[in-house]
Amino acid sequence: MTLASFVAKNALRNRRRALLTILSVAISCALLVTLLTLQRELTTPPESEASSLRIIARNKVSLMQPLPYKQLTQIERIPGVKQVSPFTYFGGKFRDEEATGWAQFAVDPARFRQLIIEGRITDGSYEDFIRDRNSCLLGRDTLDRYQLKVGDKLKFTGTFYPVDFEVRIAAVYQGTVDDRNCFFHHKLLDELMGGWGMAGTWYLCADSPAVVNDVINRVDATFANTSAEVRTETERAFQLSFVSMFGNVKLLTGAISLVVVFTLILVSASTMSMAIRERFRELAVLKALGFQRRELAGFILAESFALSTLGGALGIGGAWAFWNQMDVLTFGHLTLQKLTKGFMPYFEVTPRIMATGAIVAAVLGIVAAIMPMITMSRTSVVEGLKTLD
Amino acid sequence: METSHGPVEPIVQIRDLTKIYRQGDIDVTALAGVSLDIAPGEFVVLMGPSGSGKSTLLHLLAGIDRATSGTVLVQGINIANLNESELAGWRNQNVGFVFQSFNLIPVLTAAENVELPLLLTALSRSERKAQVRTALELVGLGDRAHHRPDQLSGGQQQRVAIARAIATDPALLVADEPTGNLDAKSAADVLNLLQRLSREAGKTVIMVTHDPKAASYGTRSLHLEKGEVERDVRATSFTP
Repeated sequence: MTLASFVAKNALRNRRRALLTILSVAISCALLVTLLTLQRELTTPPESEASSLRIIARNKVSLMQPLPYKQLTQIERIPGVKQVSPFTYFGGKFRDEEATGWAQFAVDPARFRQLIIEGRITDGSYEDFIRDRNSCLLGRDTLDRYQLKVGDKLKFTGTFYPVDFEVRIAAVYQGTVDDRNCFFHHKLLDELMGGWGMAGTWYLCADSPAVVNDVINRVDATFANTSAEVRTETERAFQLSFVSMFGNVKLLTGAISLVVVFTLILVSASTMSMAIRERFRELAVLKALGFQRRELAGFILAESFALSTLGGALGIGGAWAFWNQMDVLTFGHLTLQKLTKGFMPYFEVTPRIMATGAIVAAVLGIVAAIMPMITMSRTSVVEGLKTLD
Repeated sequence: METSHGPVEPIVQIRDLTKIYRQGDIDVTALAGVSLDIAPGEFVVLMGPSGSGKSTLLHLLAGIDRATSGTVLVQGINIANLNESELAGWRNQNVGFVFQSFNLIPVLTAAENVELPLLLTALSRSERKAQVRTALELVGLGDRAHHRPDQLSGGQQQRVAIARAIATDPALLVADEPTGNLDAKSAADVLNLLQRLSREAGKTVIMVTHDPKAASYGTRSLHLEKGEVERDVRATSFTP
């Protein structure tokens, strides 16, 4: 026998309780990891090399206020601007859905091509999209979700704009950070709106990352003191400000995570206290046999640590498997797209989040052992021997 | 003290030992200035009514409780001068404990229970195994080494507890009513075993009991009353 096997036998002496403790830690850790992943996905938009070059200019007054289309020619003349396209969020409803979880944007197809350089065309042809004003470029995720194919027609009902339209799928893209969106001709929207002459936002691509800040300043300066001043920012900054419209998601998920951790500590501390209290007599015997307080404290700590880290490993591993390997585990029957009805395109449990969960589980094991260790330490051999079995 | 072989240095020397417990606002005197010597190899039985101080005396000379005043010298060491850590190490090497309710660890086998105090020594794994085997064979349970306590009878469990007590080869064996939970046959087996350890292995056994029949196995009985030694009776030889 070794001291490690002695600890293991003690930890598993009440198997039902040990199992329930491990499961409670596992489920809580899985919940914590899920919340942290949700927080990350909502507050930290994914970055790519191409996204570091992209810039969005919107009306300084409000995102809801459109910008005059004539700004396009001024923007494309600004030094450092490689390409610019109108980028107008349509926000329509697809078919008879109550809410459509993916976006439709009106763009200039010829210009837009240089803006989504990380996307590759997997079906149909981009040239076809450019040629046909009543066509669209659709993300692979949406195509798969609705089991569509190139040539199918998509009908949208306007919610922000008082127009409905139907477009044909001319091409399918894949490889961007969000392969759900539908892009259609800005000219179509303009016509439907009766010669609107406006754009929701401008989507720009800078020549290099080094000139991004200069471009931002120049665009802002170009329209300063005009009737349509703009606010220009990087794509990432824009996405973050967009997320902030959900409210303080970070605070909310953070608060729930704290509650989960706190509850977990109470549950584990209570379980460990029970486990140690019913062994007071045995601990007193061990003291009588020559074991010192620090050794007994080590036993309690090791037992608590083992249970919580085992639970943590199960929960974190389970969360990773569920969120990162969902389609593999369910043989493609369940995907994140289906589960969240398209709201969350990505939900990746990262190594950093897993490490945070592991640290929480480890700290939990230590914190849960503190009170039992103190109580054990304060109890004399004689007092311990007097306790009932 | 003198024996037929001449003067022998006592293994335990107790002088003016006093223990006062505080119960609420009241001081309770459990031991009131007890002084006595115990020779090596003696089988001392502590008797007396409940609250007479016999268990307190046992706890103090075994180093699991602290005296209010007085000294306890075991093999010349004043255990009152040892700190908690030193005292734990001293107990491991010098005292074997046998309790009324056996106090074996239920999740460990007989061999593992016996091995427990040896985990604190510098012995190698194979040396520990050999010592465990010897101890279990000495108590007649060599064939029960891999049985858990719930697979053993009460008498067998107490014999495992005795094997655990002698595993580190301590000079002193303290037993607190070791036959209190046993039937007559098992009690006799346990008492014979303790007697054999005293007589043949030279262990000093100090046992608390209420049972006069159990007391008859000792070589000396100390009758305590209100924290004082009322009678000190020596038997001429081991009985029965």
